[in-house]
Amino acid sequence: MLRRTLLMGATALSVSLAFMVPAMADPVTLRLVSKDLLTSNPDDVKEMQAIEAGLKAAGSDIKIEIVDMPGAGYADALGVKLLSGDIPDVIYFQGGDKKMADQGVLEDLTPWIDKEPNLKAALWPHNVERLKNYPYLLYIYPPRAPQPVMRKDWLDKLGLPLPQTVDDYEKLFKAIHDADLDGDGKTGDTLGLTGYANTSELDSIFNQAFGVTGTWMKDASGQWVNARITDQEKAKIAYYAKLAAEGLYDKEFVTNTYDVKEDKFYTGKAGVIFGSSPEVIDIYGGKMRQAHPGEDISLVLLPLPKGPGGQGLQAVDVSKEARGFAIASTSQHKEEAAKLLDFMASKAGQDIDRMGFEGEQYTKDASGKVTFTDKISTWYARFFNAANWTPPTPLLSPVAQQALDTIKANFTADNAFVWPADYAADLDATEKVYRSWVAKFVTGEASLDQWPQFVDEFNAAGNTHMTDYAKTVLK
Amino acid sequence: MTQTQAIAGSRAHGNVPGLAVSQGGNRGGPSGGFRHWWPFYAMMAPGLIFFLIWHYVPIWEAKMAFEQVRIIPPNIWVGLKNFQMLFSSPVFYQVVLNTLIISGMKLLFVFPVPIVVALLLNEVRSSGARKWIQSAIYLPHFLSWVVIAGVFIALLSPSDGVVGQITQALGFPPVNYMTNTGSIRWILVLSENWRSAGWDSLLYLAAIIAIDPALYDAADIDGANRWQKIRYITLPGITPTIATLFILNMGMFLRADLNQVINFQNDVNSSTIDIIDTYVYRIGLNTGEYSLATAAGLFKAVLGMGLVLISHFVSKRLTGRGLW
Repeated sequence: MLRRTLLMGATALSVSLAFMVPAMADPVTLRLVSKDLLTSNPDDVKEMQAIEAGLKAAGSDIKIEIVDMPGAGYADALGVKLLSGDIPDVIYFQGGDKKMADQGVLEDLTPWIDKEPNLKAALWPHNVERLKNYPYLLYIYPPRAPQPVMRKDWLDKLGLPLPQTVDDYEKLFKAIHDADLDGDGKTGDTLGLTGYANTSELDSIFNQAFGVTGTWMKDASGQWVNARITDQEKAKIAYYAKLAAEGLYDKEFVTNTYDVKEDKFYTGKAGVIFGSSPEVIDIYGGKMRQAHPGEDISLVLLPLPKGPGGQGLQAVDVSKEARGFAIASTSQHKEEAAKLLDFMASKAGQDIDRMGFEGEQYTKDASGKVTFTDKISTWYARFFNAANWTPPTPLLSPVAQQALDTIKANFTADNAFVWPADYAADLDATEKVYRSWVAKFVTGEASLDQWPQFVDEFNAAGNTHMTDYAKTVLK
Repeated sequence: MTQTQAIAGSRAHGNVPGLAVSQGGNRGGPSGGFRHWWPFYAMMAPGLIFFLIWHYVPIWEAKMAFEQVRIIPPNIWVGLKNFQMLFSSPVFYQVVLNTLIISGMKLLFVFPVPIVVALLLNEVRSSGARKWIQSAIYLPHFLSWVVIAGVFIALLSPSDGVVGQITQALGFPPVNYMTNTGSIRWILVLSENWRSAGWDSLLYLAAIIAIDPALYDAADIDGANRWQKIRYITLPGITPTIATLFILNMGMFLRADLNQVINFQNDVNSSTIDIIDTYVYRIGLNTGEYSLATAAGLFKAVLGMGLVLISHFVSKRLTGRGLW
């Protein structure tokens, strides 16, 4: 009897262990694909290990498997990968997500955000609006709103106050152009402002100034029209064209790359450039000091100008996130994927993601005070910039913090919306026509007298069709 | 073995005894032939597999142009809807027109240049000088379009480019050729010539070397000058090569070179040099509309096929030579 009892007990124990041991030994493996997240980068691998440890401490045993993807042409390569049927659990998109969402490949994140403890509090106001319209992508960052900066010592040399209006901006650009701030003994060879590719950076502060309040605006008869063919838009482009004609705005912006734009700023060929985010403004400051060793150079943020149409930052498109993390609906581990994203929005996750590692990117003294090392300049967040996370020591310089405060204080939601797939050709065609004509107007290749020709071409390229649809969506 | 002998040998391969035996002697049917020649089949296999995967499988997959592509199969058959969308966009007609213009310009102003370069190189008597020139003109072929576009943008910059400085020194106002819709297509032609004229001349140079030297000796005895030798011996001697390459070029007529255009494109000139391939790239890969992009690509492929057939039959009639 005893033998039988012992035998049964041993069998029951071994069966229990057989189920328990794998559960303890095998964490859930999540496949994660993201831009510039590579197994060949020791920092990436180290951060994933730290995240795994953090998750385990929080009760989730998850192993993160990085899916390598080339950084150059990331969106294209990702699209092809997904089309081939290889769909990781967590996917970072930089475009091309709409097609996947339309086909039900992406998980609706709303229930997960409601369920998990940290995500909701980490969202920025525009994230909340975007998730209402398109609940498939999560990109917890402040809105990208380019803002202009210049060298403070140059502004001091000019003896001008910070520009407050669009006219003040023109005066500032002219003063930079006419002075010999770069000390090469020549005047008239410095551009007031440079840019790259197109004028969208400038639109960030001049749209509201000229009354371009959103993607769609109402005309005098109360009908919705595309803002790109309004009188306000025309006045704004006329202003850009005037700056370019006077040699104040770089006419070569069309052929400038990002690097060339920056180089013109650091070498004194241009006085003002736009920084796409507070972090980028800090990078500009650092690179400027590197380019001029021994000089104590700091940057100054130029304020949002008042104009005939008002003042403010360009309205933020809240139709959907343009990029961000998604959970595949095909994933067998959606719950773990949601836990990973939630952890990255928590304080513990943000500490890792934003500050790096103790002894490398920062040090802590006996009192617990955090001091960032030089290595922090090359560290970047792989996941989020949570709205409710505050670094123990300021991460941003005062000028970058000022830029962030401006973004927070000037958030306005745009009325752009998500287009059905049938409008893909129209969207491509109108974008091409608009960008082409704006560049021609600004560089002087076309005269603003040709504005009606542009409007006709823009309408024929698909705007008439698009406007008919917009009228059914907008109220 | 000299290059001339090698080419002559390759032309006469049908008379090589070994090959004659293989053609004449069937060693126990196809399987016996395979057993005997398997090393050659093995050498051929990578090329066949390459063509099968990259050139024949895509023909079947071109059915995507008639479907709504789904990440999770099956795709949905939509008939000609993608083509209707394509042809309803005025930009697509502009894109087709741009492709035809740029391809036409390249055919007229790029295709003949390597022939001229080969003729000129053949006339250089000093072998040292010829080698040096050949190295110099082959070099750009190995540069990527990213680099070449960067060089051209820097050279043509109106503010600090060499061309701008020269034109200003001559008293002319600076012109930004990269944003000038009148000049950008010529810049494509010029940069294509700079990159490929030297390298592409290799085939013609090989064809020139294969011409029987006795013909030149006979022309010398008859008192022909250099120009007459080029006109009556060299050019007729390389005509078959020119005809073959011309027909093959017609097959790629609508290609217009995506890599080149995409690197030279900017907002001002895009309406002038936006071609079918850039359109397919933008719509297909950038926005994920794979069906629409495939429809555009298929349209281009059908046009290209038509051009090859027309060129083949015209060439047959004019020169007696074609692709088959």
